[in-house]
Amino acid sequence: MSFTALDWTIVSAYLFASVAIGLLGKRFIGNLSHYLVAGRELGVYLGVATLAATEIGTITYMYNAELGYRYGFASFAAALISGLVMIFVGRTGFVIRPFRELQLMTVPEFFEQKYSLGLRLLTGMLVALGGILNMGVFLKIEGEFLVIVSGTSMKYLVWVMCFVLLLEMLYTVLGGMVSVVITDFLQYVLLSTATILVSIAAVRAAGWGKIVHTVSSTMGLAGFSPISNPKFGITFLVWQTLLWFSVHTCWQTTAMRMFSTKGPEVSKRVMTVTGFIFLGRGMLPMLWGIAALALFGTGAAVSGIPQPVIHGQTLAPLDAMPAMLAQILGPGIKGLVVAGMLAATMSVNSSYLLGWSSILSQDVILPLRRLAGRDPLSSRRQILVNRLANLFVSMFLMFWGLFYTPPGAVYLYLNITATIFLAGAFVSVVGGLYWKRANTLGGYLAMLMGAAGAIVPYFFLHWNETLAGFGAFGLAAVGLVIGSLAGQPAAPAAPSLEAQ
Amino acid sequence: MRGWELFWAVSLVIAGVSFAGITVVVAVRGIGDLREMFSRLRARREKAE
Repeated sequence: MSFTALDWTIVSAYLFASVAIGLLGKRFIGNLSHYLVAGRELGVYLGVATLAATEIGTITYMYNAELGYRYGFASFAAALISGLVMIFVGRTGFVIRPFRELQLMTVPEFFEQKYSLGLRLLTGMLVALGGILNMGVFLKIEGEFLVIVSGTSMKYLVWVMCFVLLLEMLYTVLGGMVSVVITDFLQYVLLSTATILVSIAAVRAAGWGKIVHTVSSTMGLAGFSPISNPKFGITFLVWQTLLWFSVHTCWQTTAMRMFSTKGPEVSKRVMTVTGFIFLGRGMLPMLWGIAALALFGTGAAVSGIPQPVIHGQTLAPLDAMPAMLAQILGPGIKGLVVAGMLAATMSVNSSYLLGWSSILSQDVILPLRRLAGRDPLSSRRQILVNRLANLFVSMFLMFWGLFYTPPGAVYLYLNITATIFLAGAFVSVVGGLYWKRANTLGGYLAMLMGAAGAIVPYFFLHWNETLAGFGAFGLAAVGLVIGSLAGQPAAPAAPSLEAQ
Repeated sequence: MRGWELFWAVSLVIAGVSFAGITVVVAVRGIGDLREMFSRLRARREKAE
């Protein structure tokens, strides 16, 4: 069932409103702190809206639905871990509280405060590499979703990708974090409404009994128990726990929200409330994937899972969920849902564009200038460098999205590219905040061994993601301990030049 | 297997209900936060000029 005129009207109205509201943000940009952390003026509710909108995109729905389709209810374990870890971090203030007190604008900035300028530069490069590779698959997958649900021909995929990217860039480049926060609020309300509507529609269409029966008959116990599922197991669960601790504390786009709040207590409350949203962020789209399996999983089995077949055409498991939505949603509702998904797409991509470009400008370009003995840039010039970095990241995303297709489940590709820098960054941050012996040599070893532990086994030796990811955290920890015990203890962290 | 099924069903209900509930609260009270942020940023910018 293709888009009707009503659906196109709803989507067009949303796009117009979103970009117009986003452009308002430019009015409030006075200096770099306004551009990158919205003047640190976020209250609890706005903080929750912008954090949730940033971490819930069409890409999130797609990879979670794919996990649900491939691994059934066992995949819920990943969602449960992400939510519970977030609630724990929020309740205790683990890492986020001292981070907020140090008045940072980027995560690598901490590495200069605690360790050295050189380590900040290395961390900035690894964070930018991992983050941009991670985001590199977003556009294509989001484009596929929009094309399939709206019933548009696949030959327009590249145009849809360009259009979405241009809209996001328009307000992100001009209005920075203030524009991102304003649009995130609108987008959060819309994407949440769409999530609830789709969840109800999916369960109504497939029926709870059939959903459970399908998982039981195709996967057996492995479809329910993450411990029995050969793709998961204890190692996967431990890796996921470490990964989500590092994401909720050191992931640049999440950390930027914590840096943007009015104070440490607000950041703790934002994190705790968003933890509950994260349970639904994972489980609800996983449920849609399982519903798609129950409704359309009638093709030949690949790795024990029947491929989705719709109108005689066999699809990839990743495309089963959008194809299901195209079938089960009626006119008007489909327009609302696509507007919601577009909102999700734009909120994530605009925040990620800002996040990774800020790392490039603040933690790679500016430290290089300082190492070369050049004078510091004015606030206005720094905003200009940020905008240029934003353009560069956008161009790379188009290129990478068109030419690279991740092998296996997208969720696991995203996890392993994040691990490239998160393993070392998380270990170094925790060591730097809570272990007096942690020093610069330990930080270098942790960053390098963590990155090597993720890149070499996954991209060159083709090990599975779980082993590579788990090993990367282990290597990073070993690097920090050996380096720190071998050298002199570092001084306690103090606010950097930017923070002052 | 029945135990796992029940566990995931309860988790799903908690996740769905909290997701919907928080959406309503944030949608209503977030507007106040937005207004406050605008007025503070505007005041700071005017002061700087």
